[in-house]
Amino acid sequence: MGSIRVGRPMAKPDGTAHVSGLRQGNKAHGQQTGHHGDGTADARRATGIRSKRHDALLDVMPNISPG
Amino acid sequence: MTTTEAGSTGRKPAQIVDMSWDPITRIIGNLGIYTKIDFANREVVECHSTSSLFRGYSVFMKGKDPRDAGFITSRICGICGDNHTTCSDYAQQMAYGVKPPRLAEHIVNLGEAAEYMFDHTIFQDNLVFVDFCEAMVKATNPGVLARAERTDAPRGDVHGYRTIADIMKAFNPFEGEVYKEALKVSRVTREMFCLMEGRHVHPSTLYPGGVGTMPQPNTFTDYLSRLMRVIDFVKKAVAMNDDVFDFFYEALPGYEEVGKRRIMLGCWGAWQNPDVVDYRYETMNEWGKAMYVTPGIVVDGKLVTNNLVDINLGLRIMLGSSFYEDWVNEDPFVTHDPLGNPVDMRHPWNQTTLPVPQKRDFGNNYSWVMSPRWYHQQSGEHLALDTGGGPLARLWTTALSGLVDTPYVKATGSSVRISLPKGESLPETTLEWRIPKWSNTLERDRARPYFVAYAAAMALQFLEESMGLIRAGDTKVFEPFEVPDEAIGCGFHEAVRGVLSHHLVIKDKKIANYHPYPPTPWNASPRDIYGTPGPYEDAVQGQPIFEENGPDDFKGVDIMRTVRSFDPCLPCGVHMYMGKGKTLTTLHSPTYGADHG
Repeated sequence: MGSIRVGRPMAKPDGTAHVSGLRQGNKAHGQQTGHHGDGTADARRATGIRSKRHDALLDVMPNISPG
Repeated sequence: MTTTEAGSTGRKPAQIVDMSWDPITRIIGNLGIYTKIDFANREVVECHSTSSLFRGYSVFMKGKDPRDAGFITSRICGICGDNHTTCSDYAQQMAYGVKPPRLAEHIVNLGEAAEYMFDHTIFQDNLVFVDFCEAMVKATNPGVLARAERTDAPRGDVHGYRTIADIMKAFNPFEGEVYKEALKVSRVTREMFCLMEGRHVHPSTLYPGGVGTMPQPNTFTDYLSRLMRVIDFVKKAVAMNDDVFDFFYEALPGYEEVGKRRIMLGCWGAWQNPDVVDYRYETMNEWGKAMYVTPGIVVDGKLVTNNLVDINLGLRIMLGSSFYEDWVNEDPFVTHDPLGNPVDMRHPWNQTTLPVPQKRDFGNNYSWVMSPRWYHQQSGEHLALDTGGGPLARLWTTALSGLVDTPYVKATGSSVRISLPKGESLPETTLEWRIPKWSNTLERDRARPYFVAYAAAMALQFLEESMGLIRAGDTKVFEPFEVPDEAIGCGFHEAVRGVLSHHLVIKDKKIANYHPYPPTPWNASPRDIYGTPGPYEDAVQGQPIFEENGPDDFKGVDIMRTVRSFDPCLPCGVHMYMGKGKTLTTLHSPTYGADHG
């Protein structure tokens, strides 16, 4: 701060961003239902309940997340 | 000096009156404009632009986790915070060596397109037009209003107003039709933004490496349906603006001199092309030119460069009239860029902010804004570039470069052609913005609705490409990365009102140096060490006064039109203000973990 006199900082700006024990969202990528290894995904990712029943009915139909 | 040269003959003895506006209203922040006006010759003789606000982002970013930078710097601004997040993510992506998946790039681009549409509309129609509305023109130039009542609007078939005065009535604040319609449009465009970036104006779903937006089909169809609702408004806005600004040139001969300055424009490019961009510094020139708004520097109407590496290396942060100590005796952070080019001590990568609060003195130091300049190697000049309020520079560099060639937008070398599809009431329309003769107040304002059209057209393309990826099941929106021990990065983007750069240096996985340079430090900069005035000062100084009022009831509308044409936004101009040593309340915000007390 140049020559300005400042007090003691009240924050720890380099405190850890992650608390161990909490699940990190990105860690689970690829293990979740409906997510493929190449980064693509299909309709099954929209739900974890009876996910197989959420595929498209026919092969010609796009298998995409319902919106 | 790179000042605009003044020249007039046959002058009367000067009758100089001091006039100041501090703070200026209808903009954000603490901008003060101090002028000396010669009422005998109807001209502004001297102008100083000053900011009384210091914030210190570059000071308190040090030592923080670099991944937080996008979330922290977003708070620089309450209107274009997402531009900072995007730019910070670009800089971080370069530092981490990560390229987001294509769909993530499209989502960021769509969010930014909605931001441009939102912000330009609310600024132009609800803030700028107050200076051109019936009530204001009646109070400042009654003769012009009488003429407007007799003048038919040439594009009345598009916007539906018969005379120019009818349009001016529609601009009246709180009651005019355009004013009220613009508020609705800015709500819809904000919704579009939130679909992509989660929250306006501090995005919750933009991260380095990708986005957290759930890419499902209705994310994009919801955006499209809103876009189609506002597309006719955009066509009408362009027609109305053209009518009103053409009328001003006609009704007030010589109005082109208002806010005119030497053409020195900078644009840092917007909307990455996901097929080309890899965020490596070494290839920055290639992916910079592939951006959907071409970066570049225009001097005297000619394109000087559109290489981002040249733009980056030419950046110089000067002092001269600012409340800071010089940092030349500090250690440099970056001596050479990744290509081996030397990096100047005055470059943002090497800057250290050393504030020295002091009394304002127009003969010495008078602003918290520093003076960013671009070093032009050929002439050896430090150019006080302006952004033309954003759109003017973007359209100008894109038009001259002639590189953008997409289904909806085409740069021709002398113009930019924008095609918009059929809307609810108006047919398919092709708009063409042509390079103007001047860089002045009216042309800065005129470029704004054209850029809203540009953003709408580009959004259509991003939507089509996004839907293509969704149909192919390619819904990946995030790429994992590791924070390196040491790295440097730079991000170049366009904030709504012009150039935006973030320069980042990482040491020990923490931020060692971080400098955001948004548009307003460029535009509102004070006189630098060489005495070169900043763009506001340069544009206002020497401009003629057309207002019919004398010194007693002077409103300064011509000066305000000039300053507002740059879309001033001071919170980003200077990077803690506590009046008279007042203690702020200490608050505790509970978070997980004992470390976060």
